[in-house]
Amino acid sequence: MNSRNRFVQKILIVDDSEMNRDILSEMLGNEYEIIEAENGEEAIAILQQKNAEISLVLLDIVMPVMDGYEVLSVMNSNNWISDVPVIMISSESSTAIIDRAYELGVTDFISRPFDALIVRRRVVNTILLYAKQKELEAMVAEQIYEKEKNSSLMVTILSHIVEFRNGESGLHVLHVQAYTEIMLRHLVEITDKYKLTNDDISLIAKASALHDIGKISISDEILNKPGRLTTEEFEIMKTHSSVGAAMLSELSVYENEPLVKVAYEICRWHHERYDGRGYPDGLKEEEIPISAQMVALADVYDALTSKRVYKNAFSHETAVNMILNGECGTFNPVVLECFKSVADDLEKESKTDASDYILKKEMINVTDEMLQHGEFSASERTLNMLKYERMKSNFFSTVSNEVWFEYTEAPAMITFSGYGAEKLGIKEYIMNPMESEELGSIINRKDILALSNMLRNTTPDQPVIQYDCEVNCNGNKEYVRIVCRSVWSPDDNAKFSGAMGKFVQIDEETGSNFLEDFSQQDALTGLWNYEASKKRIQRILANKKNEQYILAVIDIDGLENANEKYGHSFGDCLLLHMAERVCRRIRRKDIASRAGGDEILIFMECESEIEKAVNRIFAVLGEENAIYSVSVCMGVAKTEKETDSYEKLFHMAKQALQAAKNSGKGQLRFYDSSMENSVSELSPIDETSL
Amino acid sequence: MNLQECYSAIGGDYQDALKRLMNERIVQKFVFKFLDDPSFDNLIRSMDEKDYKEAFRAAHTIKGVCQNLSFSRLCDSSSRLTEALREEKSENYQVLLEQVKADYEKTASGIRELKASV
Repeated sequence: MNSRNRFVQKILIVDDSEMNRDILSEMLGNEYEIIEAENGEEAIAILQQKNAEISLVLLDIVMPVMDGYEVLSVMNSNNWISDVPVIMISSESSTAIIDRAYELGVTDFISRPFDALIVRRRVVNTILLYAKQKELEAMVAEQIYEKEKNSSLMVTILSHIVEFRNGESGLHVLHVQAYTEIMLRHLVEITDKYKLTNDDISLIAKASALHDIGKISISDEILNKPGRLTTEEFEIMKTHSSVGAAMLSELSVYENEPLVKVAYEICRWHHERYDGRGYPDGLKEEEIPISAQMVALADVYDALTSKRVYKNAFSHETAVNMILNGECGTFNPVVLECFKSVADDLEKESKTDASDYILKKEMINVTDEMLQHGEFSASERTLNMLKYERMKSNFFSTVSNEVWFEYTEAPAMITFSGYGAEKLGIKEYIMNPMESEELGSIINRKDILALSNMLRNTTPDQPVIQYDCEVNCNGNKEYVRIVCRSVWSPDDNAKFSGAMGKFVQIDEETGSNFLEDFSQQDALTGLWNYEASKKRIQRILANKKNEQYILAVIDIDGLENANEKYGHSFGDCLLLHMAERVCRRIRRKDIASRAGGDEILIFMECESEIEKAVNRIFAVLGEENAIYSVSVCMGVAKTEKETDSYEKLFHMAKQALQAAKNSGKGQLRFYDSSMENSVSELSPIDETSL
Repeated sequence: MNLQECYSAIGGDYQDALKRLMNERIVQKFVFKFLDDPSFDNLIRSMDEKDYKEAFRAAHTIKGVCQNLSFSRLCDSSSRLTEALREEKSENYQVLLEQVKADYEKTASGIRELKASV
């Protein structure tokens, strides 16, 4: 099964005309698994369920119930359109219609009449293109993430070394970074003079962390001197900007890295002044890069509002006034304006934990990047689906007021639903439940053991059991029924891996028997099992008035040989496939079941053209498949006035099947009395083999 | 009657269908299937019931199927009906519908004749 899912691409054909769907299937040949939907609603249901498994959708526009445009809108609002390519197929040819389809995200447009070569080529191209794109997206996202993570980490380490020597808390670097970013974001709102993109702003903010790296060359005596520096000392201190820049420009291998270039500007020129009286180069006005201008202001504001060895902290208001009055150097009027507008935000920022801010920012940047470089990749969507399922079961377990539990073998742990834990008065998670005293105080140890043994003795085919016992709910003894199913590893060599179940109050139980419901299903195919279908059919026959019904028995040709040749899992796979096909073609009120080993039984009411309906099912079952060509024989019996017993009807269908098989592979026969002669070839209805 | 003769009898373009659908077997398979397509009955019923939305879809489907099978004559009349229904030109419905009926009958009987002789 899994191998089939992995290698055969699934194509969803959505068209209200069966004929058109068939033509497309025929053209695509047997390289793909074709899933069909006859209107938009069906298509959405299939997409919802199969999600990332679908490689391509061929979509018609004009359809009943829900048309192609609506399907596209739903695909857009769920973001499916970015992972599942859509080719529009339509007899519409007006450009307005085609344009609208492209606007809604279709990849291609094939107009009628279909040309086999064109259909095939476009389908192949689109699938390849998307596969390639998904691969690239995953690579790019991975690289961006790694790069972001590494460079942020390195920058943080480097700047902390400086801070450490400075005897500062490390907050300075983070504050400067945050202030720079806030001011730059405002700057691009008030002027487009500097042509800064979002990426540029992030880069400048990141590089700002390096503004003081040159201080590493300054001796401790000067760097951490409590009093005022002498003129000579100040001259030495001033070298930190050019030394920092030199350190970066000597990184010859990386000197062209954008981060290094920006950091160079900031290191060298963050002590320049707008009036040209700064150091080291005496640049003035717009000669000073905007990055350095912003960092200079952020640096000054943080120095003023922080406590330093040589000074106490000024209040926010004082600091703002000092800067605006030009007491701390001259700044670009635009930069000052910017500072003034966001001053309140800076104050807020200075009080929050800056490191938290930066981390959050970082996360947002990474997700932004990933979003820009394509929507979630398939694996992420699988995770999202998983999350969704978790959320769903959490929600229902919370609101349903039932005691639910899940048991996993490795690690050995029982998890109760929130309500369940509360009701029983125990923890939600219990490790090693077999040895747990806590669990032992709720349920008798012998009951736990018995339950555990019963579960281990189930099979993947018959996983459901029930067990009645006494339970201690917060001190009150209650008699409950524990209904649970075992869980098995998915491989051929299935191993018991856990269980899930719930407690049912026996006095509240309204006559429904869980075991019966579960045991009526065939574990492999999900169809009814033979006994259950027989009961149902007998009930219908007993109540029947003038309606007519047919019973059909279907046998896959050569399944025995296939089992011998390819193993039983191959046969199972075929049966399951047939069961899926049958389910797709029958109505809700019809009955399909697995009758004995390899046979499938269908029971349905005859409406007007029963032969057509039967023929259609028969044709679908015999259709060629992507992996193997397979044919079936089918025997059909109709109810007559006198044949209203199930046994008779089943017998007739089996005879018709035998007659079909006698005439070769891929045969369909309706019962007629001449077949009565072949009774001898059949053992009398052998119920025990079923 | 062979497939090609059937196409000329019903006003279709056999060469075009053959070219697009790759081989004669497939063309014939779908030509026979045409008889099972419920769209024509749908069209007649919904026109009777004056359900013109449904009639539009049915006519549209017939047109699409005919395009795929290169049934040019029926394709023509059904597209004209489709467009009239789309633009709600109800004064033309009856005439166009009669034409579609006539063309459909000719097409269906041609196919039945072919089926009988294969």
